[in-house]
Amino acid sequence: MSILAYNGGCVVAMRGKDCVAIATDRRFGVQAQTIETDFEKVFQFNPRMFVGLVGLQTDILTVRDRLMFRKNLYETRENREMQPARFAAMLSSFLYEHRFGPYFIEPVIAGLDPKTLEPFICNMDLIGCPNVPDDFVVAGTCGEQLYGMCETLWKPDLEPNQLFEVISQAMINAFDRDAISGWGATVYIIEKDKITVKTLKTRMD
Amino acid sequence: MFLTRSEYDRGVNTFSPEGRLFQVEYAIEAIKLGSTAIGICTSEGVVLAVEKRITSSLMVPSTVEKIVEVDKHIGCATSGLMADARTLIERARVECQNHWFVYNERMSIESCAQAVSALAIQFGDSGDGGSAMSRPFGVAILFAGIEEGKPQLWHMDPSGTYIRYGAKAIGSGSEGAQQNLQDNYTAEMSLNDAIVLALNTLKQVMEDKINSTNVEVMTMTSEKLFRMHTKEEVEQIISDLA
Amino acid sequence: MNFMGIEQFPDYKVPGTQHQDFSPYESNGGSIVAIAGDDYVVIAADTRLSSGYTIHTRKQNKLFQLSGKTVLGSTGCWCDTLALTALVKARMQMYEHTHLKTMSTDAIAQMLSIIMYNKRFFPYYVSNVLAGLDNEGKGVVYSYDPIGHCERATYRAGGSAGALLQPVLDNQIGFKNMQLDGEIPKVSKDRAVAIATDTFISAAERDIYTGDAVCINIITKDGIEVKEVQLRKD
Repeated sequence: MSILAYNGGCVVAMRGKDCVAIATDRRFGVQAQTIETDFEKVFQFNPRMFVGLVGLQTDILTVRDRLMFRKNLYETRENREMQPARFAAMLSSFLYEHRFGPYFIEPVIAGLDPKTLEPFICNMDLIGCPNVPDDFVVAGTCGEQLYGMCETLWKPDLEPNQLFEVISQAMINAFDRDAISGWGATVYIIEKDKITVKTLKTRMD
Repeated sequence: MFLTRSEYDRGVNTFSPEGRLFQVEYAIEAIKLGSTAIGICTSEGVVLAVEKRITSSLMVPSTVEKIVEVDKHIGCATSGLMADARTLIERARVECQNHWFVYNERMSIESCAQAVSALAIQFGDSGDGGSAMSRPFGVAILFAGIEEGKPQLWHMDPSGTYIRYGAKAIGSGSEGAQQNLQDNYTAEMSLNDAIVLALNTLKQVMEDKINSTNVEVMTMTSEKLFRMHTKEEVEQIISDLA
Repeated sequence: MNFMGIEQFPDYKVPGTQHQDFSPYESNGGSIVAIAGDDYVVIAADTRLSSGYTIHTRKQNKLFQLSGKTVLGSTGCWCDTLALTALVKARMQMYEHTHLKTMSTDAIAQMLSIIMYNKRFFPYYVSNVLAGLDNEGKGVVYSYDPIGHCERATYRAGGSAGALLQPVLDNQIGFKNMQLDGEIPKVSKDRAVAIATDTFISAAERDIYTGDAVCINIITKDGIEVKEVQLRKD
């Protein structure tokens, strides 16, 4: 079994009209055994930028801290907020530095550019190959299910409330077909003037 | 009439010049030594009634089994050599269970009869897959069953021929009984009338006086499927007969 | 992780010797979706037959009409599909001759399970979905694993894009995770056909083994209606 599927979990991000959404499940387990049901895999790095990390739990926490370190260093040196696109480039090169001994994580970035407020979503494989589409990105043990859901439900220019509905349905129905993802979900809707965080009740099995 | 058959009644698979298989015909004759069994099919269900010959007062009558359950929806009455009957009934049961296992549905009565017939004609000394017996089976069988909610009655003899009947009698009293059925049977009769007719017919052809220990009665209905009547129920019916 | 381990390195080979190994299975891709209603059942399969990055044909029908009210969708190793369906058809013909009636959908479902389990230790490498009308005229769907485990359902996705399509059906046909007051709504025949078509359009976006066209069979008491919808061909 892949080490990427050792702890289970999934993250999905979607682009809407002048907004982005990122959602995650809340399970942390060791193979089939569930350890925690309130483990967040999405972290706020900036006022309008969130990063989801799925894969090996220990690497999720390490990478989160190392990224925070690098981002803070950038922002103090440059004295400006880091743009999501810059963050993605930094994360990509950071992961590629460990090309032959990688962190076993797959990242998802969702945010709005601090100046232009242009929505940005991006995901990568564990060695940092970036993918910046204009619809949605998925990662995790139920990636296939997420692709099926997103491909059917997503359409361009969704308003924030519609985007919330689409990303929630996509995530919940996808992880209901995966034994090592689920046990609750959290959805973040990022708009230019507010961040909405919603915790979803889902089936707990 | 038996005197003329000299050479051709030895081998079970040798035709006589007239085109007859004497051993099979003798087997059919053997049925006429067996106890009488009657089957009547009505729109409400089928009734099977058989005579049990209690040859000794030391015998335990309940161990003489002439009516048997093949599956929930198929019951059989046999007449003739009981040991042979066991073999055929066992095959019928296996075929029914196998059909359920493979197709998840109840086997049709005709298919069940057909499967038993295939075994019944596997006598002789060679053939495809070897033979089951060296001689024909000395048994006739009445199949009572429910198919798609409707009752059916089938009869099979030692030649393997199986035919559907409205009412049929086999065994020693079959000739008289069949005549009685012919006169009194109607397809429209109720199941209760059929039970009475079956036992009345048995009563007429039996040598011993009919009572609740020397007959067995079974009904096959779409609601209750195979159901043997208890000794008390049979007693009640017999006392109501006269 | 396999790619970091030493498993990836080839075994030491003596120069001049030829190593020949035979792999009895191949995956030829393809997806199936079946949706059952009260008086109909819809079954759809794409028409692409591929192996690795090669497309063998864009016009391979994967739906087998076994009787007037039963259709089998089969994908996986195509040669196994052909062998299995040929055997099923032969067994159905034998049944018809011995029992003088056409096999019901439920009987075919059970028989298929047993035929597949008969090869428990060298299985048919196939993903089967059986759709038909049962004895009461209701639509039913049966799905199988390669060794014959059989499950009765009302909707099912199978094949290479099965994982992509199943949660969509859970949501759109099963109304899972929907706020409903009262009972689960009925899905009309036209809606079922529309959803089946849409799921294939989605699957063709992401699954390279699904595409070209989707063949849809709509089974009702009046017979089997066949439709085809084009999908992306890249």
